[in-house]
This record gives sequence, C-alpha cells and structure tokens, in this order.
Amino acid sequence: MKVGLIANPASGKDIRRIVAHGSVFDNQEKVRMVRRILTGLREAGVEEVLFMPDSYAIVERALLDLPADRRPPSIEPLVYWQHNTQEDTVRAAELLEEAGAAVMIVLGGDGTARAACRGSRNLPILALSTGTNNVFPVMTEATVAGLAAGILASGALPMDKGCYEADILEILVNGEVRDLALVDVAVAREAFVGSRAVWDMDRISALFLARCKADSIGLSAIGGQIVHCAPDSGTGLALDLQGPAQRTVRAAIAPGLFVSAGIASHSIMHKGETFAVEQSGVLALDGERDLVLHKKDTACVRLALRGVQVVDVPKTLEAARTRTLFARQIG
Amino acid sequence: MARKTYLQALNDAMRQEMERDPSVFILGEDVGKFGGCFGVTQGLFDQFGERRVRDTPISESAIVGAAAGAASAGLRPIAELMFVDFIGVAMDQLFNQAAKMRFMFGGKAKVPMVLRMPQGAGVNAAAQHSQSLEAWFMHIPGIKVCIPSTPADAKGLLVSAIRDDNPVVFLEHKLLYGIEGEVDDDLYEIPLGSGRVVREGSDVTIVATALMVHRALEAAEILAKDGISVEIVDPRTLVPLDKECILTSGRKTHALVVVQEAVKTAGAGAEIAAMVAEEAIEYLDAPIVRLGAPFCPVPFSPPLEQAYMPSVDKIVEAVRNQR
Amino acid sequence: MMQTDKTVLLDMFRTMNKIRFFESEVQKFFAAGQIPGFVHLYLGEEAVATGVCAALGKSDMITSTHRGHGHCLAKGGDLNLMMAEIFGRLDGYCKGKGGSMHIADFNIGILGANGIVGGGGPLSVGAALSCQYKGNKDVAVCFFGDGASNQGTTQESLNLASAWKLPLVFVNENNGYAISLAQRKAMAVTDIADRAAAYDMPGVVVDGNDVLAVYEAAQQAVERAREGQGPSLIECKTYRWRGHFEGDACVYRSEEELAEWKAKDPIPRFARQLVDREVATQAELDAITNEVAEAVAAAVRFAEQSPYPSEEHLVEDVYA
Repeated sequence: MKVGLIANPASGKDIRRIVAHGSVFDNQEKVRMVRRILTGLREAGVEEVLFMPDSYAIVERALLDLPADRRPPSIEPLVYWQHNTQEDTVRAAELLEEAGAAVMIVLGGDGTARAACRGSRNLPILALSTGTNNVFPVMTEATVAGLAAGILASGALPMDKGCYEADILEILVNGEVRDLALVDVAVAREAFVGSRAVWDMDRISALFLARCKADSIGLSAIGGQIVHCAPDSGTGLALDLQGPAQRTVRAAIAPGLFVSAGIASHSIMHKGETFAVEQSGVLALDGERDLVLHKKDTACVRLALRGVQVVDVPKTLEAARTRTLFARQIG
Repeated sequence: MARKTYLQALNDAMRQEMERDPSVFILGEDVGKFGGCFGVTQGLFDQFGERRVRDTPISESAIVGAAAGAASAGLRPIAELMFVDFIGVAMDQLFNQAAKMRFMFGGKAKVPMVLRMPQGAGVNAAAQHSQSLEAWFMHIPGIKVCIPSTPADAKGLLVSAIRDDNPVVFLEHKLLYGIEGEVDDDLYEIPLGSGRVVREGSDVTIVATALMVHRALEAAEILAKDGISVEIVDPRTLVPLDKECILTSGRKTHALVVVQEAVKTAGAGAEIAAMVAEEAIEYLDAPIVRLGAPFCPVPFSPPLEQAYMPSVDKIVEAVRNQR
Repeated sequence: MMQTDKTVLLDMFRTMNKIRFFESEVQKFFAAGQIPGFVHLYLGEEAVATGVCAALGKSDMITSTHRGHGHCLAKGGDLNLMMAEIFGRLDGYCKGKGGSMHIADFNIGILGANGIVGGGGPLSVGAALSCQYKGNKDVAVCFFGDGASNQGTTQESLNLASAWKLPLVFVNENNGYAISLAQRKAMAVTDIADRAAAYDMPGVVVDGNDVLAVYEAAQQAVERAREGQGPSLIECKTYRWRGHFEGDACVYRSEEELAEWKAKDPIPRFARQLVDREVATQAELDAITNEVAEAVAAAVRFAEQSPYPSEEHLVEDVYA
C-alpha cells in the first residue's frame, strides 16, 4: 500500500544545455508534477507515501499548495543523511525497498532512474521524465502516472498486469558486477569524468544498448537506426565504433544535436552473454561519464539475466478500464 | 559659425566625434530611431546604425555599468539617462564603480565615459523628473561634472568630455535645449575647468550655472538701470572648478552672489561660497549671498513650480539687498 | 569532450595550490594583525576560479567579487603584487590604495575585484560589449555569488547580455550563504541556473569542487560565446571553508556541514585523479606544491619588505 517517491532536484541541469539544446527543467515544474502525482495516488486510494528528502524540498513545497483531501493521508520523508549527490537517490531506493514500498515513482532523467535502480532492482519503477535525454523515463501526464502507480500499489490491479520487465545492462569490472545501466553504456576515450555528459562521438569507441529504436534520443538512437530492440525483448545491441567503419549512422544523441557515427560492426546481445570492453577509459552509463577504468582493469558488459520491473502506464490504465475500475454502471 | 540650438550643438558634438573616433558610441533608453526622449540623438541612429547607437532596456544600472565596463576595456561610450532623477537606481555603478576604479586600482584604470543627463525644473514634470543634482556628483572624487548654459559651451564641453579619460557627468538643462546661439561648425574643445565671464561688470559678481546664467543676465539688465554693474561668471564645469575665474571676479567687484536652481542646502553654491570665503574673504565688502530652491521637492502645479525656481526678480532683489 | 593536455592539467593543479597557499598565508598574517582591514578568503572554492580561468586566454576579461583573490590568481595575477597590495604596501598592485577587495590588472584582463555585491555584473556587460564591438573574439566572465544573484544589477546584466547576445559567461559561485543568510532563506529557487531560462540562455549546474567539471563546462560556454552564440550561466555548487570574512564566528552553520564539505576538498580530489590516471606521479605533484609554497613565502617576504605608501601618494590617481 506504500508508494515511494523520488524527485531529483538536480536533473535537467547539466552541460547539455550548453553543448546541445537541452531544456532548463526548473524545480518549480517538478513541484507541480509531484502535486499531480499525489492527486493521482489519492484517487487510487493510496494511503501512505514515503519520499526522498532533497535540497529543494520538492515534495514539501508540493504539499504547501495541495489540500489534504487531494493527497494521500500519510506523506513522510525517508530519514537519512543527505549528501546532495546521486547517492541520495540510491540510498532512498534502498530504504524504500526496506520499508516495503510497492512501487517507486522517480522524477528525473535516465541518470536518476539508473541511480534508483542501483538502490533497488526489486521495486517496480515508474520513471517520469524531467531530465535531458530521456529514453527510460516516460513523458506522460503526472496525474495519470500517479493513478497508474496507485492502482498497482493498492492492489486494485495485480502488479503483473501493469508492468513489464525491462532489460538492463550490467558492467563487470574484474569479474564483479560494479554498476548497471538502463539504456546504454558508452566506452569513452577520456581520462576523466569531468562534466559527465557525452556529446562527442569521436571519443566513443564502443556502445552497448539495452534497448534501441528509431525514434530514440541519446546514444541509443545510433543503434536505433540499425535494429529495433524492444525494452523487453531479451536482446540488446553492441556496436564497435573503433575499427574501420562499415557504415555511418546519423542520429540525435542530445536534444538538437545530430552527429555521425562510423560503425565497424554490430552484434546482438543475448542475456548473460558478456562483451569485453577493449580499452581503458571512462564508461558513460546512460549518458553520464561515471565509471573510470584503469589500465589493469578488465571490464565487460552484459545484458542482465534479470531486468527491472517497469510500470507501463497505458497498459495499467487499459487493464483498469477493462475491469471498469473507474466506470460504474448506474442503476 | 551658424546659429544652432543647444540641442543641435550637442547632437553635432556627438556626430562629429563619432565620425572622428570609431571607439565612440552611444547607449541609452530610446536613443536609437526614436532619437532620445528630448531628441538629442536624433539622426545618429540613421547615420551610424544600431551597433553605435544602442537602445537599451530600462535598466539604468546596466546602462551606466556597461558604459563603465566598456570604457575600462578601451571604448568611449556616451551613455544617456532620460532624466538625471533616474541616476538613483544606477548610482552604485557611477559612484562606487566608474568613479573609483582609477584610484582603487592604483592609477591603472582609465574610464573614458560620458554620462549625459537632462536635469532641471520648469516643464511641470514634478518631483521625480525635475531635480538639479549636480552637487551629488561634485561630492564624489573621480567624476568630472559639466553643466553648460549655452549652445557653444554645450558643444565644446561635450567634445572635451568625450575625449577626457575620466567619467564625466554631463548635465543638460531641459529648458535650454531650444535656446539658440552661434556655434562653430568645426570640432572644438572647451577645456574642462575653464570658467567664462559671461558679462563684465564692476559692482557685484554673480556666479551662476545652466538656466540661472540666463536669469542672471536678465537681472543684470534690470540692475544696470539702477546703476549697479553686474559681472556674471559661469564656471561651466563644477569639477574641475575654475576657482581663479571666480576669485578674480570676486576680488574685482568685492561682492558675490551665487545662484543655483538646485535646493540651496549643501549645493554647488555652498561649495563656491565657501571656497571664496576661504580664499578671498578679505576682498569682499558684503556677506556672500546664496540663492537656490527652497528645501522641498520640486512641485508639479505651474505657479508653485515658478515659485520654487530662483527667478529674475529674486536675483535682482538679492543683489539690491546685499548692498 | 575535454582537452586534457598534461601541461593544462598540471597548471590547474598549480593554480589551485597557489590559491590555497596564498589564502592560508593571508589568513595567518591577518590573524597576526599584519594585514589591515577585511579579508574574504577563497579557501575551499579553488576549483571554480581555476577551472573557469583555465578556459580563458590572456586577453579575455573577468570581473570579480569580494572574494576575489582566487579569481585574480587564476587569471594570472602576480603573487608578489597581490600580497603586497593586501598588506597595504606601495609595491602592491594598486600602490596599497585598493587592498584585498580592489585588485585589478588590466594587462591580463582582470577588471577588478569588487566591494559591492552585484557590482561586477554591469561592468562585465560593458567588457563583453567591448569585445563584441571590436569583433576580436575575446570574451568576458562575470564571477558572482549566490548573494549577488538577488541584486537587481545581476538580473539587469543577465537580461542585457542575452538581449545583445554578448560574449559573456556568468559564473555563479554558489557557496550556500550570503554572509550569514542561507540561500534557502533568501530565494525561492535552489538552482540559480534555473534563472537562466528567464533570459533565454543556457543555465547549467556543475560540481564546483570538481575542477575538471568546471573546466569542461567553462570551455564549452566560452567557445559558445566566442562563436557569437551569446551568454551562458554556469552555477558552481561549492562552499567556503572560512566565514564570510576573517573573524566571522559562523554561528549560522554547523560544524558537520563544514566537515562534509572539507571532505570534498577539491585539491586532493584532483591530485588523486591525476595520479590515478597516470597524468603525473605523486612526486611531480609534490614538486609543484613545494614550488608554489616557496613562491607564496617569497611573496610574503616581498610584501613585508615593501614600504607603505607615503602621504604624497594620497591624492594621486583620482583622475587620469
């Protein structure tokens, strides 16, 4: 019956607003989205919400302007020491799982959703887009997203009727799973993490995609011009960008930014099959340079045997319609 | 030589300086196609284009500060504020930034900017559009202050102000924009700090600025009929102040009347009177008299506004009473 | 995405250490009563000035703040002349007439630190206007704090810079406090970068304690400005280790908060990255640190040996 809520105050503000044409997603809009989510949860009968406290107090601000009868009765912060880094999101997701939340709603971009899944790979996630290059989070009205999460959390609809399992990538360093990515892993010829974002294809030597399709934005758009891997297909795509190019692909890897990428070869990834990372450098996970590989490290990427459960809003609400959850016959 | 208005003289000075020096440009509110609120920049936009005649938003701090920044980076901006009264919102950029850069930075900065601002009462513009604030600027070391009274002075002083390497506040009287006078067509400078004896006389010295120079001239005509010979000195710039010009006249006539349009309290006239008292009191046969506006804001209603400004009659009366 | 030439990286390491040693010495000599007036130290914020100025050339210009020592050093300011100025001596940058809050060096584009919060914004607009007017591809950078972002001058400057597409990069150093007032009590937003949207310019947030993140963002914003694409706003989240001024008891913030930020010290963090990535050995870094420490010590000696200005200098330099 509990729903978790993570709203990242830092999403949508990275360097891609300078190097590309990313939106400045201000936190006031996140506040308004949280209000709409809470009304949806209330409508679905959810009684308890646990949320990640953040430096902007997104949820607290949302409550200031939302009457008590339009939100769940209990809305409480998770208690832990905030560091105002990505680790807050990871920790919040861990605590939500421990507290027995049924589902977590995450506001942010691909990076935020990834942090939440690092914290809990068991909780079903409904990720709403407030970031930059969003492939994993969905752009949908927060009100109905709240409603969908709510009817799954409240048990009005069984969880499996509204979710699907999304494939994810695992990164192994020296034989151990070190990290994960929800959409893409890029091997960058960089020495440093720096400003995190990735926008220069000349510095990318390989790409691993958990999903890709033609209308994507971000690095997965490159693979999307070659094959279509649905999120729950059990397949991914590995691209070698280092060898002699066999073809070039043009794709939008950031908002308003088209680039050409020379592809040496591509191969389909199947669950559990490992692909070696051929060089040291920095791995960009879901568009953010994050993991630094040393010369002595051996690293590989694989499509995980078990993905994450993702709330599918249209599917959930369609199931609710067929069960007439919100339509009552009169008389 | 040609007959020009004060406004045309200012316009000529800017036009000719901009033709001569590509680093000179204009910025301010409505200075472009519109030609400035009083029309002083008329035609300059058409001649020089928007790169050099720049309309700004109504952001006085940004206007004055951008002028100071551009000047310190090697340009020669002429900034215009629509009324001197608006300097309040931009004062920091003038008195803490532009004025102090050279001294604070040990003599390394040059801030060759001009800040043109119309001032003065007489157009029923009420309390926030009519003040005479020259004393504010005189009080801040690092700024020069010009306050021309004639078309010829307006041109020569503005040329000097543009060429000067310091921030120069250039105060234009709204009621003088339409007056005519002989103005040289060529470019010429009037050195800042050179006062002018406007009328020679032997019995009393009137030191006056801007509109008050013209009222003093009228008063002098009336007093001449009484047999009182009035000498009128227009300092033309208040910083630097041509002390010698004033002292020489005072030593000759042995009487001093200082007339300003601004509020009398703590005004430019007080500074001039004190300077003469310090340096030449032994030459004076009568106490120094100061004339200025009463200690109240500028009123709106026309009769009240007339009562507010020092008039010809009040100047005549002051000179007579001094004797 | 980032030019990571070894020389550039080691220069950044040198600059950060230069600021750290310089400010530590200023702190010491101020406490000992040998530096008059007020000083506002940059300790803890070294990565911001360093990362930004590493993206600038000599003829690019900066305007600075109260807390300006770091900006001046990062832009290439001379240690001796700076230290002597802060000591109030004749051989200082401004002949002892400016002091800590008013250091400028027009030859290398330092248009002056500023004692007025928000004072630098309009000046930076003018500086950037001069670049655009001359068409010389130079850019200006306006450093300003979270406090200054609430001044009208800053908002006027953001607007005008964007309206005129000036080659200007606004670098906000958000250290969380405007003197004693926590940012959360002073403004309804947490990210000053959000305000960029109101002026139709890119606004980004970077980790102000990560010199490489700052450097990369600055490089991109500077390049954008040089290409004529207009201003950007980079908000660097950082923290000042000392109070607003030396002697500030810091009753408005907790020891825990300070400890947390000290753990994010930008200098060892960068050193670790350099060694880790085999850009330099620890011995090379140690050599740089020692060399800088010696240079700062020499600057103190230079300052101490310089005379105070005499009264004959008092009214000089009021006018050009």
